[in-house]
Amino acid sequence: MTSPHPSPITARVVVSRVAASTLGGYAFCWGLSTLSMSSLVALGMDFDEAYTLVMLIVFLVFLTAFCWAFAARSLRAVWLVLAGGGGAMTVAAWLLTRSLV
Amino acid sequence: MFSSFRHSMTWLHTWFGLVLGYVLVVVFFFGSLSVFDREIDRWAIPSSRFEAQPMPSFDRLLEPAFRSILPDEAEYEAADALVTQPLPPREQLEPEEWWAYTTHRDPVLGIGAGFGLPHPKDPEAHNHVHGSMTIDPRSGKVIPSDQLALGSGFFYPLHYSLHIEWLGLGYWIVGLAALVMLAALVSGVVMHRKVFRELFRFRPQKRTQRSALDLHNLTGIVALPFHFMFALSGLVIFSGIYLPVADTMLKPLHDAHEKEEEAQTGLPHDAAGVPAKLVSVDAMVAEAQRRWAARDMAGDVGFLVVNHVDDANLTVSVYRAGTDRIASVGEGVHFKGTTGEVLHEDPPQTQVSSVNEFVTGLHLQHFKHWLLRWFYFVGGLAGCACIATGFIFFVEKRKRQHAASGAGGSRWVDALAVATVTGMVVATLAMLVANRLLSEDLAGRDGWEKTAFWGTWLLAFFHAALRTTPMREARRSPAWSEQCALIAVLAVCAVLLNWISTGDHLLRTIGAGYWPVAGIDLTLLVGAVMAALTARRLWSSTPRQIAIDARGAAYE
Repeated sequence: MTSPHPSPITARVVVSRVAASTLGGYAFCWGLSTLSMSSLVALGMDFDEAYTLVMLIVFLVFLTAFCWAFAARSLRAVWLVLAGGGGAMTVAAWLLTRSLV
Repeated sequence: MFSSFRHSMTWLHTWFGLVLGYVLVVVFFFGSLSVFDREIDRWAIPSSRFEAQPMPSFDRLLEPAFRSILPDEAEYEAADALVTQPLPPREQLEPEEWWAYTTHRDPVLGIGAGFGLPHPKDPEAHNHVHGSMTIDPRSGKVIPSDQLALGSGFFYPLHYSLHIEWLGLGYWIVGLAALVMLAALVSGVVMHRKVFRELFRFRPQKRTQRSALDLHNLTGIVALPFHFMFALSGLVIFSGIYLPVADTMLKPLHDAHEKEEEAQTGLPHDAAGVPAKLVSVDAMVAEAQRRWAARDMAGDVGFLVVNHVDDANLTVSVYRAGTDRIASVGEGVHFKGTTGEVLHEDPPQTQVSSVNEFVTGLHLQHFKHWLLRWFYFVGGLAGCACIATGFIFFVEKRKRQHAASGAGGSRWVDALAVATVTGMVVATLAMLVANRLLSEDLAGRDGWEKTAFWGTWLLAFFHAALRTTPMREARRSPAWSEQCALIAVLAVCAVLLNWISTGDHLLRTIGAGYWPVAGIDLTLLVGAVMAALTARRLWSSTPRQIAIDARGAAYE
C-alpha cells in the first residue's frame, strides 16, 4: 500500500478527492440501487421487498466507496469507477425499467 | 496524495471528523434527549402530566376531533400556487385522510388530517395540505398548538433535520454527517491498531492531549457497535429522502407495483367520488384486536388511519403498537369503511422486511424497556464525549504551534467546540427555563421558547469566540469552565422553576411515582452536579495542568 513518492497535497487534489468521495460515491450508489432494484424486480421480486433490501445494503456500499476514494492511489481510477460506474449503472437501470413497464 | 492506507484514513478521520463533528455532536446530543422526548414533553406541558392513555374510542371521541381539524395555515396559503382556481375557505376544504398515533408513553394523542386540493394544476402531484393537533384522549379537549412539546416537537426534529427547512437541507447535512460518522469509526479503528488495549486505557493525570485522546478512543471503541448501528439505521430510515429512486427514476415500477397491490389487497388507491358514510370504527378496532389475540400477539392500537373520508372507497387501517418488540407499528388489519368487513390483513413479514423492521425499530425505540432506554441515553452521550474529546485533542495537538506562529486555526476550532458542546447544553437549558418562566397563556409562546433557544446558543458562540484570547499564549480558553458553571446554574434553575410554577417538586413526583417529570428533574440535578464539578476542576487545575502540559511540550 505504501507508495514511495506520494503526490503533494494541493487544494485541487483535496477538492477532487472530497468530491469523488461524496458526489462520486452518491452517483455510484444511485446507479447501484436503481440497477439492483430493477434487476430484482425483473427477476420476480416484489418491488417493496427489493427496495427494502437494497436500502439496507446501499449505505454500507457508500461507506466503502467513501473510504476507498481516499485510500486509492489513483484519483482517476476513483472517478472512473464511482462516477463512470454510477452513470453506466443508471443508464442500464433506465433501459431495464423501460423494458419492464 | 497519501503515503499509506493508514495515512489516508487518518486524514479522512481528522478533517471530516472536524468539519462534520460539529453537526454530529448536535445530532448525538439531541438524539440522546429524544430517547426521553415524551418525558420532556410532560415536563414542558404541565397540563399533560398524567398517565399514558390507550387509543380512545373513535366513534365517540376521535371522529368529532378529526372533523374539527383545520389545514395548517402556512400550508394552506402555500397551496394557492398549486391550483387553477381560488381555494375554498380553510374551514371548507374536505378531509381525505385521518390518522392518530400513540405509544405506551403518551398521555396525550397526536391526530392529523390530509385535505385534497380541488382544481390542481398538476393532477399527478401530491395536491394535499395537512393539519394536526394534540388532544387529551380522555375528554377530547385540544392542547393549544402554541404549547410546544419541547421533546417530540423540537429536540427530536432538531436531531434529524437541524430545523433547516430550506430545500430539506438539514436532512442532507445530517445524512452526510451520518456517513462521516460511519467512516470515522472505520478509519478510527484503522488508525489505532491496538484497539483492544485502548479499550482499557484512560490516564486522566496525563497532559490534556493524552487524556483527551484516551477518552476519545475509549468512548469510540466501547460504544462502537452502538454508534455504527445508529448512524447506519438513521440513513436507512431516511433512505427515501437520500435516495428518492422510487419517486423518480423507478416511479413507473413503483406505480405498477401499487396497482398490483391494490388488486391483491382490495384496498382502493383512489376515491370513488361518491359520498358515503363510515360505520363504527370501534367495532373494527375490536375485530383487529381479536385477530391479534388469535395470533397470540394481543396488543394495543398504535396507529389508526382512515382513507378516502366520506367516500364510497372508505378504508380504515388499524395497526398494532410495537410496545413489546423492536418495531414501531405493524400487523395492520384493513377494513372497508362503509361496511366494516375486513378487506385485508398484513401477511406475516418476509425476512427482508423483518430485518428492516429490526434495524429501524432499534433506532426508533418504541419498545417498553426502561433499562435499555437508559443505555441508549448513556450511549448517545458517550458519542458526544467521543466527538468533544476529538475536538479537544485536535486543539491540544496544535495550539502551541498555532500560538507561536500566530495562526488562528486552533482558536476557531476551540471556540466552535465550546459553542457546540457546552453552548448547546446551555441553549437547551435556557429553553427549559424559558418554558417555565413564560406565562401559560402568552400568545405565540412556542416562538418565544425557540427564540430563547437559538438566541442563547448564539450568545454562547459569541462568548466562546471572545474568550479565546488566552489561547494566543497556548493557554486554555476560560469559556469551557464558564459555560460549565452556567450549565450547573441553569439546570438547578429549571428544577426550581418547575417546582415554583407547577408545585411538582421531587418529593411529590417521586412519592407519586410520576417518573416522567421526576426523571427529568433528577437528570437535570445530576447534570448540574457534573457540570459544577467540571467547572471547579477546570478552574483549580489550570495552573497544575499548565505545568503538566508544559513539561509534556518540553519533553517533545
